[in-house]
Amino acid sequence: MTVTAGIDVGTGAIKVAVLDVAGEQAKVLAKRVERVRQRDPLKLAADTYDQVLAEIGLKRGDVAYAATTGEGEALAFHTGHFYSMTTHARGAMWLCPEARIALDVGALHGRAIRMDGRGKVLAYKMTSQCASGSGQFLENIARYLGIAQDEIGALSRQADNPERVSGICAVLAETDVINMVSRGISAANILKGIHLSMADRLAKLVKTAGVAEGDIFMSGGLALDSGLVAAMEEAAAKEKLKARIRCNPDSIFAGAFGAALWGAYRHDKLARLAERQAA
Amino acid sequence: MSDTAAIVAQCEAMFEDLSFTGVRAWKAAVPGRKVVGFMPFYVPRELIHAAGALPFGILGGGDQLEVIHGDAYYQSYICRIPRSTIELAVTGKLDMVDAMLFPSICDVIRNLSGMWKIMFPKVKARYLDVPQNFRADIGGTFYRGELGELRAMLAELTGKPATDDDLRASIRAYNANRRLVREVYAFRAAEPWKAPSSEVYLVMRAGMVLPVETHSKLLADYLAAAKASDRPKRDNSRIIVSGAFCEQPPLNLIKSIELAGCYIVDDDFMLVNRWEQSDVAEQGDPLAALADSYLRDSADTAAKYEPDQARKGRYLVELVKKRGAEGVIFAAPSFCDPALLERPMLQRVLASHDIPYIAFKYAENSGQMQPIREQAGTFADSIKLWS
Repeated sequence: MTVTAGIDVGTGAIKVAVLDVAGEQAKVLAKRVERVRQRDPLKLAADTYDQVLAEIGLKRGDVAYAATTGEGEALAFHTGHFYSMTTHARGAMWLCPEARIALDVGALHGRAIRMDGRGKVLAYKMTSQCASGSGQFLENIARYLGIAQDEIGALSRQADNPERVSGICAVLAETDVINMVSRGISAANILKGIHLSMADRLAKLVKTAGVAEGDIFMSGGLALDSGLVAAMEEAAAKEKLKARIRCNPDSIFAGAFGAALWGAYRHDKLARLAERQAA
Repeated sequence: MSDTAAIVAQCEAMFEDLSFTGVRAWKAAVPGRKVVGFMPFYVPRELIHAAGALPFGILGGGDQLEVIHGDAYYQSYICRIPRSTIELAVTGKLDMVDAMLFPSICDVIRNLSGMWKIMFPKVKARYLDVPQNFRADIGGTFYRGELGELRAMLAELTGKPATDDDLRASIRAYNANRRLVREVYAFRAAEPWKAPSSEVYLVMRAGMVLPVETHSKLLADYLAAAKASDRPKRDNSRIIVSGAFCEQPPLNLIKSIELAGCYIVDDDFMLVNRWEQSDVAEQGDPLAALADSYLRDSADTAAKYEPDQARKGRYLVELVKKRGAEGVIFAAPSFCDPALLERPMLQRVLASHDIPYIAFKYAENSGQMQPIREQAGTFADSIKLWS
């Protein structure tokens, strides 16, 4: 048994997972997601990590390998840091063994990561700098419309005549939304339009990253948005992608899980190397 | 003994000071003192020291200097270091420099020596040619002659001809300095978490503006403080950075590579500090000793001619083994002919030894580090997980 932790410091949220790993088997001991909300993300990450450990009666010293990912490399206590692509690919494989594309949609970026059956990253494509395809943009629009975040998905799925917004520029997209509101377009149709625009962009990313086999697993915070998942299914069909769109209630933890799993792998590998050197 | 933070803060202040206050203060302290500037990658600093002058390494303007005048002198496909060096000079930041040495590194720096003579006629400027033939009777004889000419030029500048005894004393001072430099590098390779490269770089860079004796004390203090420090060891990949021997990378680039999960266990950033790989002979003819050291015992780099094609790139493979490195990052300045022309040959040698590598380019004023972090981070991951 090896207790490892994954700390995924994202732009919008901190995700912490503590795993008990034995060979190929892993069990989640504790997990927590904490939205950043204008707090110091590094302090929040450290506090959340300590709280999660306290919940299961552990201390930092009990963790064999504390792996950070995302923007977590500056956390003083980490054992090792893995790049987001590496951890999302591993986390996606663990949550959905058939996945060969991890589609990570977070607060700031969307990225399609193609991997092999071992979780090794083969290619990846990322959205450009504009935030129109990001969770932060969607959150802002929902706030302008007076809609709570957890209502977005259900409302979007009720749409009957969605209108697309700009998928290139967040400023233009916001202008589109203002025009729609003034034209009396319903919130459901506006949200669905945004979802479809985002999904179009994400499906193109997947296509560019190359998908030859397996499923597309959605990770990151927006994988919990059922409206976006439904729009992704439509966009995948439109782009003639043969892969199924998959997600999991724990999709948001894919990066943290992946970090903890790679941490366990490294812990074992380093132990073997040390044994070999001692011999 | 000081702690590393205090020493590094002192070095960083020198690094950021583009007015070179310390060099000016050294010159002003005793009337008649002379400052001799030099460009990367190597000059025989012993000769300058023996003449009573201060060797002053000029490595461009970094990322804090806005180049306005310098751009007027160069085409867009030329690297940044000559532009920013001209900018420093025409804005008066190098007005305490009494002579300039331009080593034989590339056409751009060679031509800069000619430009300097036209632009700053009151400053002595010399193009320092180095041997391309490594036979003692050919290259050695040539280089000893070159060193003799340089010695005469410096004597004219300072009015103090350096005797052989003066030169031997300077060789001793620089030998002591190089021993400490080697010790710092060896310590960093052994315990990189205690001596981050962003710190080691600043400590080495301080040697460009300090008298050698002061720099040696600084190195010894840093080494003692780093050894005594208590910093956590990370599970990082051990890599070597190659190709950055002239125009220096921004400090943030070095920090970004480290933050991305790499320990830099060797590099060629400040090659002049350790050009000679072991002690230069402290007895006998000092010029012959310096020439002999260049021929037999100097560092390998793209700017140094390698007559034996079979040996091309071997130094990098040997360095990887010596430092226990797991990969190489080729980081070269944009438009750097020596580094970029050499790179494919070095990469081929590494590939034939199954040593992983990545490559990117930078300029001394590169500001966007996300692509660097991305490349270095994924490289570190690939080494840790798939090598």
